[in-house]
Amino acid sequence: MELKDLPWTTVAKMAGAAAGGLVLAGAVFILSGVYNIAASTGHLQITTWLIEILRERSIDVRSFGIKVPPLDEEGLIRLGAAHYEGGCVPCHGRPGEGINPIVGGMLPPPPDLLDVGERRPSEEIFWIVKNGLKYTGMPAWPDPRREDEVWAVTAFLARLPSASQIYEDLAGVTRGGRSGDEGLANAGVLTRCGRCHESEGTGTNGDRIPRLAGLPEAYLLRSLREYAGRTRASGAMEPVADLLSERERRELAAHYARLRPPAVETSISRDPEQLGRGQAIATRGIPREQVPACMNCHSGRQSPDFPVLAGQNAAYIVGQLQLWHRGGRRGTGYGRIMAVVATALDQQQIEDVAAYFASLPAGDVPQAPVAESSR
Amino acid sequence: MSLARSVAAFLLLLALQGCSGVQSALDPSGTEAERIDTLTWLLIVFSTTVFLAVGLITAAALRGGGRWRARLANERLVIGGGVVFPIVALTLLLGYGFYLMGPGSPAAARADGQLRIEVVGERWWWRVTYVDETGRRVESANEIRLPVGRPVQVELTSADVIHSFWIPRLAGKLDMIPGRTNRLTLQVAEAGISRGQCAEYCGGPHAFMSFFAIAMPEDQFTAWLDREAGDARNPSGEDQVAGQALFLSSGCVACHRVRGTEAQGTIGPDLTHVGSRHSLAAATLENDPDAFVRWIRDGQHVKPENLMPPYEIFTDGELRQLAAYLDQLR
Repeated sequence: MELKDLPWTTVAKMAGAAAGGLVLAGAVFILSGVYNIAASTGHLQITTWLIEILRERSIDVRSFGIKVPPLDEEGLIRLGAAHYEGGCVPCHGRPGEGINPIVGGMLPPPPDLLDVGERRPSEEIFWIVKNGLKYTGMPAWPDPRREDEVWAVTAFLARLPSASQIYEDLAGVTRGGRSGDEGLANAGVLTRCGRCHESEGTGTNGDRIPRLAGLPEAYLLRSLREYAGRTRASGAMEPVADLLSERERRELAAHYARLRPPAVETSISRDPEQLGRGQAIATRGIPREQVPACMNCHSGRQSPDFPVLAGQNAAYIVGQLQLWHRGGRRGTGYGRIMAVVATALDQQQIEDVAAYFASLPAGDVPQAPVAESSR
Repeated sequence: MSLARSVAAFLLLLALQGCSGVQSALDPSGTEAERIDTLTWLLIVFSTTVFLAVGLITAAALRGGGRWRARLANERLVIGGGVVFPIVALTLLLGYGFYLMGPGSPAAARADGQLRIEVVGERWWWRVTYVDETGRRVESANEIRLPVGRPVQVELTSADVIHSFWIPRLAGKLDMIPGRTNRLTLQVAEAGISRGQCAEYCGGPHAFMSFFAIAMPEDQFTAWLDREAGDARNPSGEDQVAGQALFLSSGCVACHRVRGTEAQGTIGPDLTHVGSRHSLAAATLENDPDAFVRWIRDGQHVKPENLMPPYEIFTDGELRQLAAYLDQLR
């Protein structure tokens, strides 16, 4: 009997039986435990090949259209390297040093990223760091609200392998070695804070990292609690604050509040016109544009829950105000108050006012009440 | 009576409620509003009369038979009723309207400018400044007080978008336009409270941009203005003192002024005597300590999109202290 003479009911029955057989075979395969899920046995070559094609096509297509901001600023690269040291080194190792044997047992093992800056364009690095990769163990960035932090890591990785020569300096590994504060239960933790933030006599690791020395204790403690509660967004600070006990948070806040702020670098040339504009915003505000004077809350004469801004790094202030513009700091009651003010400022005003605060001596508290703002 | 008819009757009664009360143009209390009221009734009576007359003539033409039709087809009636009467009647009405409302009206003649009130429309509240005979300026907000029997010139402008100033019981609407000052003369006939409303859509909380106009006898008004011109009262009780400390240290001063203290902000309403006002948040809330608490913490729910940031950072105890402080600013 020719195939084409078979009645369609018979064909349908045969097809159904074949499909049923496949499902049954699949179920037996899955439920019998015959598949070896051990990382130690590796993949079949064809599986590896298929997954690699899938991965590369997906990264290629999904990173298409990402606009890369300027990434060559030193502060940004330092911030990225410091994030890398805290979040990426446990698996990827420091660039060029290879990975440790524990993560070497992963399937696939995390690659040494020494040459990633040559292998991948920046938008692909950004996309991977931001989103992570399925089936590899690569996690997504801890807080999706902080793309700016992902760009910092991207800036560092894009500079590899050349940046690996000065990695320890960039990532702050050699900084803040003083664990001398004997009374502190967590001197070890403090050493890690010191990689980025100030220690006695040293400033921050680049201008993207906030100066903490001399800030009000209540503000510092509040920030650590907000990071731990994930109401304040940061892929760098949330994991750090999460590891701290309440007692450690209190001690660290007290420590940094006591720490003497290092002097503002006077070598940086500043545009006096810009400082004038910044000062006007800081002390008088722009009432017509619904911008109150910053000094009404941030001069140090008000609630200790508000940060003092005098001497703060300009790039950090700019970054935070831009974060408010993007809606990334609306997680707390304090953040929602400031959101109204921050979004009333335009980019030029943000840069002016940040430059003004950075030019003030740290901890400078004006004695007189802020001059009244006039319309 | 059927259900539908009961409902209809009830709705009609509800509608009639609008005819009296603090915000009704049909219940005038000011000279200008009385003229508007007169003109309104004149127009209603005149139009009704004409409408009925036309209706009668039409009925007569349809049903009245040949004699009526012949009479109505009379040329004198057609020219007299169709051309001359409208021209004369409408011209007279227009002239009377100009006389009442326009330049050269009785009100404009009487505006001696002794006391001026500058009202600036803001999103979404009213900045009110009294300028008395001596040139003394007294800033307040969200309420205007008027002496009974004395014409007061109100100067209207806007700080941002177009608003419109309307106190139906006292006068007609007048737009508040950025960069331009419109003038209105208010003369109130008797003491009492009227309600005003922004009458030009000005953004989200437009409907919540209201205020009270409070007319007081001359001597009370003078005493009130003197008190309003003074600095804020110092807090006395424990809660009030704590509330003032919170007010001064939590950023409120960036936008609000309380004369006699460090609080010198000008972005939001002056709060020097906020406790003595008839309402809060531009006639959105009653003025009591609970309303202060609601406004500070939940202002965005009370009046969505208003420009004051939500202050969720205070504990219940702190809110109570702040409210106690603000409430005693009388």
